[in-house]
Amino acid sequence: MSDTTTKSRATDRRAASPARPRRQVRPGEAEETLEVFSSALTVVAIVCVWMLLQLLVLGGFSQARSQHLLYAQFRSELAQATAPTGAVDYNGKTVERGAPVAVISIPRLGLEQVVVQGSTSRELVDGPGHLPSTPLPGQQGVSVVLGRASTYGAPFKAIDTLKVGDAITVQNAEAKVAYRVIGIRRAGDPIPPAPTGTQGRLTLVTAGGSGFLSGIRPRDAVYVDATTGKATGVGQVATSLPADQAMAKDTSVLPALSLYLALLIALVLGVSVARRRLRGSLVWLCAVPIAIALAWVTTDQVVALLPNLM
Amino acid sequence: MSVSFNTPTMRRISEDSIVRRLAAAAVVLGLVLIGLTAMQQRAQAATGTPVATGADGLTATQTLSRSFYPNGGVETTLENKVTVNLDKHSNVQANERIHITWSGAHPTGARAVNPFGYAGMQQEYPVLIMECRGTPSQVTPQTCWTDNWQERTQSASSDPSGDSAVWLDDAKNVAGSDDKRISGLTDAQASALPSSECSYGDDTAAHITPFATASKVYYNCSNQDMAPEETTGTSSTSSTPPQEISAFTNARGNGSADFEVRTDTQNASLGCSQSVACSVVVIPIEGLSCTAATQANCNSTGNYNAGQYYDGSTSGAAAVSSQLWWSPSNWDQRFTFPITIAPPPSVCSLNSASGAPVAFYGSELLSQAALQWTPAYCLNKKRFNWQDNVMSDDGAFALMRSGTGAAAEVSGRRDQDSGIAYAPTAVTGWGVAFDIDTPTGSQQLSLKLNARLLAKLLTESYSGGSVGRQRPGLDKNPYSLNLDPEFQELNPGLDVRHWSEAASTLLAVSTGSDVMQQVTSYIAEDKDAMAFIDGKADPWGMTVNPAYKGLSLPVSTWPLQDTWIPTTTDSCLSANKTPYMPLIDSPLSTMRLVSQAMLYNWPNVNTVCTVDNSTNPATNVIGRVGPQGIGSRFMLGLVDLGDAARYGLTLASLETAPGTYVAPSNTSMSAAVKLAEPGKKYKPFSLDEKTLRKSGTAYPGTMVVYTAAKTRGLSKSIAKKVAQFLQVSSTEGQVAGRGNGQLPNGYLPITKTGVTKELYAAEQAARAAIRAQKEPRTDGSATPSTTATASIAPPVGSKPGAAASVDAPPAQSTPSAAPSATPSTPSTSDVQLAKTAAVSSGLGGGMLPGLFLLALAAIIATLATRVILLMRGIR
Repeated sequence: MSDTTTKSRATDRRAASPARPRRQVRPGEAEETLEVFSSALTVVAIVCVWMLLQLLVLGGFSQARSQHLLYAQFRSELAQATAPTGAVDYNGKTVERGAPVAVISIPRLGLEQVVVQGSTSRELVDGPGHLPSTPLPGQQGVSVVLGRASTYGAPFKAIDTLKVGDAITVQNAEAKVAYRVIGIRRAGDPIPPAPTGTQGRLTLVTAGGSGFLSGIRPRDAVYVDATTGKATGVGQVATSLPADQAMAKDTSVLPALSLYLALLIALVLGVSVARRRLRGSLVWLCAVPIAIALAWVTTDQVVALLPNLM
Repeated sequence: MSVSFNTPTMRRISEDSIVRRLAAAAVVLGLVLIGLTAMQQRAQAATGTPVATGADGLTATQTLSRSFYPNGGVETTLENKVTVNLDKHSNVQANERIHITWSGAHPTGARAVNPFGYAGMQQEYPVLIMECRGTPSQVTPQTCWTDNWQERTQSASSDPSGDSAVWLDDAKNVAGSDDKRISGLTDAQASALPSSECSYGDDTAAHITPFATASKVYYNCSNQDMAPEETTGTSSTSSTPPQEISAFTNARGNGSADFEVRTDTQNASLGCSQSVACSVVVIPIEGLSCTAATQANCNSTGNYNAGQYYDGSTSGAAAVSSQLWWSPSNWDQRFTFPITIAPPPSVCSLNSASGAPVAFYGSELLSQAALQWTPAYCLNKKRFNWQDNVMSDDGAFALMRSGTGAAAEVSGRRDQDSGIAYAPTAVTGWGVAFDIDTPTGSQQLSLKLNARLLAKLLTESYSGGSVGRQRPGLDKNPYSLNLDPEFQELNPGLDVRHWSEAASTLLAVSTGSDVMQQVTSYIAEDKDAMAFIDGKADPWGMTVNPAYKGLSLPVSTWPLQDTWIPTTTDSCLSANKTPYMPLIDSPLSTMRLVSQAMLYNWPNVNTVCTVDNSTNPATNVIGRVGPQGIGSRFMLGLVDLGDAARYGLTLASLETAPGTYVAPSNTSMSAAVKLAEPGKKYKPFSLDEKTLRKSGTAYPGTMVVYTAAKTRGLSKSIAKKVAQFLQVSSTEGQVAGRGNGQLPNGYLPITKTGVTKELYAAEQAARAAIRAQKEPRTDGSATPSTTATASIAPPVGSKPGAAASVDAPPAQSTPSAAPSATPSTPSTSDVQLAKTAAVSSGLGGGMLPGLFLLALAAIIATLATRVILLMRGIR
């Protein structure tokens, strides 16, 4: 926000050199519409740039930070043998969404991520998410893990480049399970047969695009299947929400989002009132951090309304 | 004839005639020798060579003898004419148990509670049974499997006056090899002996029996040079118990044992397989024959009386124990029975010529039949490659309906099954297996159970011991089943003094299945049992565990409802705060695992505390109890009849009509099938417990397994394959036998005539409908949507903690995850494998470029308007 403001001021200064004196817009003249239009476009530009910045850059920072904390949490749970072995934890309570359930590593991609419980847009902000209605990664049966392809650190950005036979390792509460990639699926490809006995299949889901700028156009779901012959025992499974499915959106954030938008409006009003009484620099010094914080949390809510694999 | 050579007439005979006569004499001599050796072989045949008996049995008889000087007295020869019988020997499957009986053997003393492996070798006069690689003429001690190096190597002072190295006194030792100070090795082995492990002092004698795999020799001088499958000690907590048994012979000379055969899958070093011949060697230990009366140890007749248990007061006498099984006196008097191993389960997956497998999913009840059926498909070029996968009945049915599985093996009708035909494929059922020993140490072979006893076991109403007794509501109940007066009345003569947590539960399955559905409907049809669950005390005052009070039955998954956590000062239990009673129950995920637990007498009770020193500080971990010792076993498990027959498990009789108890058998299953009511067209028969319980002869655990497949919308090639499966399984698959494609024990053949004729007719009709794929739609377009996402909410309160989690709690292993679940209509465009559904999002694809373009456009437009405003002189 501040960037653009200084930019327009710079333009002002350069434009100030001609002899003609500058004046305020008078109400009712044509220039007033133009100025309102210009300000509106500025706001649109700021919002868009901010969104892009947060999705592609700032989100990556916050995801890395979340991963750091989740890793520490999961490590200590493993050490205490309290890591969840199913949808119910050692205390008999349901494993909360967003709690770490496994660590997945793909040496070929240099990827190591803590998988969290739940796979709605909101959980995927922190890392790859486990579809709750499937066994946990590493367990017998078909486990499904969804991850973002372009935004928030894009952990699963490159999984569609995996080759058959590549290793995927999953550390869950009980053991380290070694998977081998058996193939990559897109729409219309046959689903591999269901695993039986101690076999387990791990299906990684992300989104992929095609053609120009495919990296930032995650349009279609892509599935990477990997199997193991020695999976760990199955715990309980929970029920999935519709928002957990691939490419689903989570509309449960709407109340929170409206609250944050209201706060943003309040901030705008507050700034315009304050500017009449106080020095501009002073007002901006106070308002900018608040604006950035509000913009950040608001965008995090908006992201929940976008497809989860983005 | 040779006489003629010496007669004086010989001189007169010309030289060439001498040559002729010599030749004739040689021929005659040769013939006599051949005749003699043939006679000798025939004589051997009379002693110890196996003869076929029964369907697949073998029997052999030989006279064992021991010449020795009892108590240093006069030379005596002890003789025992021993007959050994095996109940089967061909096409033996992995882990299958052969029932071996014998008579005429010397009674056993110093009896061990655990006769397996090294633990059993202290016994006097046991019957040692082992598996050896090679045909009967090929086996040597070096190809016979033992669990431990201590069973293969003996060392002692070589001083003859001390008489410690008993084996050197064996009268049957071959001079120049067996009597050497270091004996048991071939010359090549002796020169290659690893000096690091196998060095003995000059005053030490040793006998080493290396174990020879097909390619490598393991000397077994110490635990440093053993085959990988051997174990290092006598620890009873190894995952697979020792295989060899030093079995007990009673005072009348009779005994029996169930010997578990291991294939190259379980024991690669031994390496028995379809292509590598193996034998079962039975050595009734008769004792060493001795050369002199002064050899006190060799001439020992044992330190214990016949039948007496080993008490540690003195060790068993080596000369009459199985420790010296390799000594010529013992080894030469062995019985060797050839066995053949069935093709491994992987025979089809390894056979690339058989084509891509066509997967059927479903009931575990079929798995033993499938083991024999599968090779008959993939090894026959005219048939498809049939693959049977065990899965919960519900999951399998959903897979079949979604098109992922060609057909499902289920034992009951499912919802939304229009357009699906059920073809009866096998008659089998469930049973309650028991490993119970009488107070005298012999195995109990029959048991009676009723529905209320099953209800008591499943509802965790026995407290199991002092910890469980603290649970409110269980304080007045018996500790375990054998202390329950109701059980004692039904089964007199069993241990009424001891209790264990294993004896307070029925090891069952945690996953959803039609078997649990039927077990619980058996209980639900019993008034007394339901009254008990509803809270009424039984006549002896026992009441239900409050956590299960009022439970409504039947259920397809047994819930683990007890959430009581003991409050105790016990450091381990207080460190692991988890509900206690489910730790006793700890159901397993498949009935195969239950059978395995029964096979190894190893309860899945997870209440034992061990200290895990690998963490810092050391943590208390709750884990599984050890296997039960033979002679003091008491555990029960829910198994299927196929597994029970394969692994030789003993099964309980169940109460049907009041006071009538029926054991599972082909007769009692026939009686049950007779009561089955045909269902609607192509639908399953109804065989409900209400009807079964009225009959006094029908086994209430009888179940029919159906092959369910679509009658419309299946692709032609798949329909043809399912029909072929039904055709083969209903003809050669119903012939009882042990060969490929035949029906194993534990299943009742479905035949054209007799009680199963209606099942046969139903199979024919269903097969025709599946083959034709022409059943019209009757229910309009109301096809169910979202069929495959059967995500089941967890049962309340079930949760063995992290420690007990490996085979822990129930879970519908939802086979169809999100991607495969999405096909929302079980469509008519059917395929062999379900296809990945298209999931895409225009928003996802367009969002980022859109934002970028919008931002760009807005910035340009802003700049443009600003420039215009500036040009007009506006600030």
